[in-house]
Amino acid sequence: MSALGQSLPRPDARDKVTGDARYPGDRFPPDVLFAFIVFTDQPHARITRLDTAAAEAAEGVVAVVTAADVPVNEYGLTMFDQPVLIGPTSSGRSAVPHDVSRWEADHLAVVIAETEEQARSAAALIESDWEALPLVADIDAALADGAPLVHPEHPAQSNAYHHLVITKGDVATAFERADVVIEGTYELPYQEHAYLQPEAGVAYVDEEGRITVEVAGQWTHEDQEQIAHALDLDLDAVRVIYPPIGGAFGGREDMSLQIVLALAVRKLNERGIDRPVRSQWSREESIVGHHKRHRGRVHTRWAATKDGVLLGVEATSHLDAGSYNYTSNKVLGNLHLTVAGPYEVPNAQLDSYAVYTNAVPGGAFRGFGGPQGCFVSETQMNRLAAALHLDPVEVRRRNVLGEGSIGITSTPLPAGVSLPEVIEECAIEADWEAPPRPPAAIGAFASLPPTTEASRRGRGFACAYKNIGFSFGFPERSVADIVLHGSDDADARPTSAELYLAGADVGQGAHLAFLQMAAEATGLDVEAITPGFSDTATSGDSGSASASRLSWMTGNAILGAAEEAEKAWRDGDRPARGHFRYTPPPTEMLDPDGRTPTTPNFAYGYVAEAVDLSVDVETGHIVVHDVVCAIDVGRIINPQQVTGQIEGAVIQAHGYCLSENLVVIDGRVMNPRFSGYLIPGIGDIPEQVRSVMLEIPDPRGPFGVRGMAEMPLMPYAPAIVGALYDATGVWFDSFPLTPPRVRAVLRAAGVGAS
Amino acid sequence: MEISVEVNGATHTSDVEPRTLLVHYIRDVVGLTGTNVGCDTSSCGACTIHVNGEAVKSCTMLAVQADGQSLTTIEGLANGDQMHPMQEAFMECHALQCGYCTPGMVMASISLLDENPNPTEAEVREGLEGNLCRCTGYHNIVKAVLSAAGGAK
Repeated sequence: MSALGQSLPRPDARDKVTGDARYPGDRFPPDVLFAFIVFTDQPHARITRLDTAAAEAAEGVVAVVTAADVPVNEYGLTMFDQPVLIGPTSSGRSAVPHDVSRWEADHLAVVIAETEEQARSAAALIESDWEALPLVADIDAALADGAPLVHPEHPAQSNAYHHLVITKGDVATAFERADVVIEGTYELPYQEHAYLQPEAGVAYVDEEGRITVEVAGQWTHEDQEQIAHALDLDLDAVRVIYPPIGGAFGGREDMSLQIVLALAVRKLNERGIDRPVRSQWSREESIVGHHKRHRGRVHTRWAATKDGVLLGVEATSHLDAGSYNYTSNKVLGNLHLTVAGPYEVPNAQLDSYAVYTNAVPGGAFRGFGGPQGCFVSETQMNRLAAALHLDPVEVRRRNVLGEGSIGITSTPLPAGVSLPEVIEECAIEADWEAPPRPPAAIGAFASLPPTTEASRRGRGFACAYKNIGFSFGFPERSVADIVLHGSDDADARPTSAELYLAGADVGQGAHLAFLQMAAEATGLDVEAITPGFSDTATSGDSGSASASRLSWMTGNAILGAAEEAEKAWRDGDRPARGHFRYTPPPTEMLDPDGRTPTTPNFAYGYVAEAVDLSVDVETGHIVVHDVVCAIDVGRIINPQQVTGQIEGAVIQAHGYCLSENLVVIDGRVMNPRFSGYLIPGIGDIPEQVRSVMLEIPDPRGPFGVRGMAEMPLMPYAPAIVGALYDATGVWFDSFPLTPPRVRAVLRAAGVGAS
Repeated sequence: MEISVEVNGATHTSDVEPRTLLVHYIRDVVGLTGTNVGCDTSSCGACTIHVNGEAVKSCTMLAVQADGQSLTTIEGLANGDQMHPMQEAFMECHALQCGYCTPGMVMASISLLDENPNPTEAEVREGLEGNLCRCTGYHNIVKAVLSAAGGAK
């Protein structure tokens, strides 16, 4: 029986229901010290004096690490634009001035003490003097004439430091020929990851002398590289291990505790102290101290014929990258590719900018720019349908990308384009042709009886495409190792295997997916495979748990490793070893004017969603009755886990769209707690979420698999906005759709009591 | 202050500061790390345990308030290899992903069924409103609780 397509139990489930799972904050090795990370608390200022003497003399303090202790005081996933520690003096090289704090959560020092309490009280004794620098609060401030530069050292010499262009056909003529033009300006909000496990970790020198960091991350080998770079060490002098990880969603793609914990161990080592160090952030430190889904603004115009066929798209997009790049340049690329929608667009002029400010950095978050682009494109498409009195599904049929379609970058999409089928399946499952449902009795408050008086009901539709894997020429690869064991007999088949992969299980169940694919590739049972996961000392680089890439990339690596091991087995090797480094077809970067045909990606995933909701036009409360998510997953590895990804992504999108309202003013997060930043609770979620999984194989995917974990998050917000229009006749161009906002927009449009 | 607390059937006597939260006592003094801390504001429920059989967010009590009381944490549910039916149901129904909310969710769910052995779906949702999960989207958690209720009949 195939190991694929089965809901096998997760290997980590028992530990997770019994409390035996040891998350990074659950690790207390003997003799462990606590490292408290001191934030600068300065959104934009230059440090002129730092005095740690009193802190160092405080009770229980073992050492204080400052910028002067950092060999190479710079880091960053795609650009070295962030100092590890801010300080007036620095011992080492850096591409970025180390004496300027550009973010309230820049790190100033690491206080290492016997206990957490001692470390925290000693931190209060650190003295520093700051010279205020002009604050760049947001995109408007950053783009204003004469705006101060957040990074004067950047060659762009502009806060709008990264610019992508797509120029296709002749957009001016397209607008002249248009029967209808839809124009909109959309304000896109931040989103906080809110993984339940706040940042934590432990670091020590292992038995082979390596500085070892056990932490929750998304890419062991990138963490290793960033640590080695900042500490000026060889890669093999650094080891990164991932224990059970309490959620990630993109929020652990960049460094949090990784480098500072390694620095703490290094400093202790220099003083001849061989003791492990642990650290743990509070929820507040987590929300203040790590990046967010970007806020942004998009102005766009769409030209179409009276039949609803797109002629051209113009868009100018800005993302608030915040104080450091993180992955903003890459996130911008995804916005750029999705802002004109998954449609045949013959003429386009797209300009997208990442903008430095002194706000919290923007970075990776499930969908990676796709949710922002999709909100714009799908709201535009729904508005086009409304303007022409066309059905939202029908207007998509007339424009959607299909097999052989030329994409927005003027090249054909990779084979296996299944969005037309996905849209049809979604419409069927949602019973889209059925007449409108009557308003449901809803109530804003549990203490009041529900009524239909102010209730209006509506349905909305949206779809999306998203790349699988790293884009635009970024070096993609994934390494797997398989060792087959069994009898020396020449005719014998292997009876067991070892599987080595670094890919992170952030909770999505990647490790079980690896085991199921390895079982399928070797013909063994899952139970016969012994895993070695998420340790740089034993595994090659699997790349990041991001971009919906992990099953797709590691599956291809597993297939290669299994084939190599099988060859060795047939040659008589016992054990038989297979090592394989999979590289997908190459991708390309856009040229500066974006006119040259370019292949930015090697694979895509496709999704469509239909929602049915009621809104109380007096209070602005929304109840979502039904969500249908249709998605082509290529080949189902584990049905239960795929459904889990769909439902989880839909509910994260529900929060993004309806309740999650991160307030950042003058460089400061104003509501860094779960009491003020509201992720959906069980009482807030849709009444039902129905998953429709198509299995149209990706020709390049392992076993036909497509990536799928991000896609269901993308169409939800525009589908909700489409349904609100259906219910009330009013469009929303910003969210989250909190009751006060919904009520205010409806009132401004004359809906509800005046 | 010296307190004496029964945790999962064993009595622990320790000297704690009056301001120590019960959750920190369980994790740092008793050394049971299955009870997780997910927030600073009693919002998430990851630290839910049973005090004298009733679900309590252990960040909302001081350790000294537990003096003389009987606590059950997630580690105290299974009887050797024999897991509690709610633990089984969470595994069966894929009611967890990262698992960080799971101990609190399981403890709250058991308490819910103790009070209402045959809840409707709506009653399960209402009963778990104090526990946050960021991964699953909750639907499988509801299924697990209903399944455990069915199995208990």
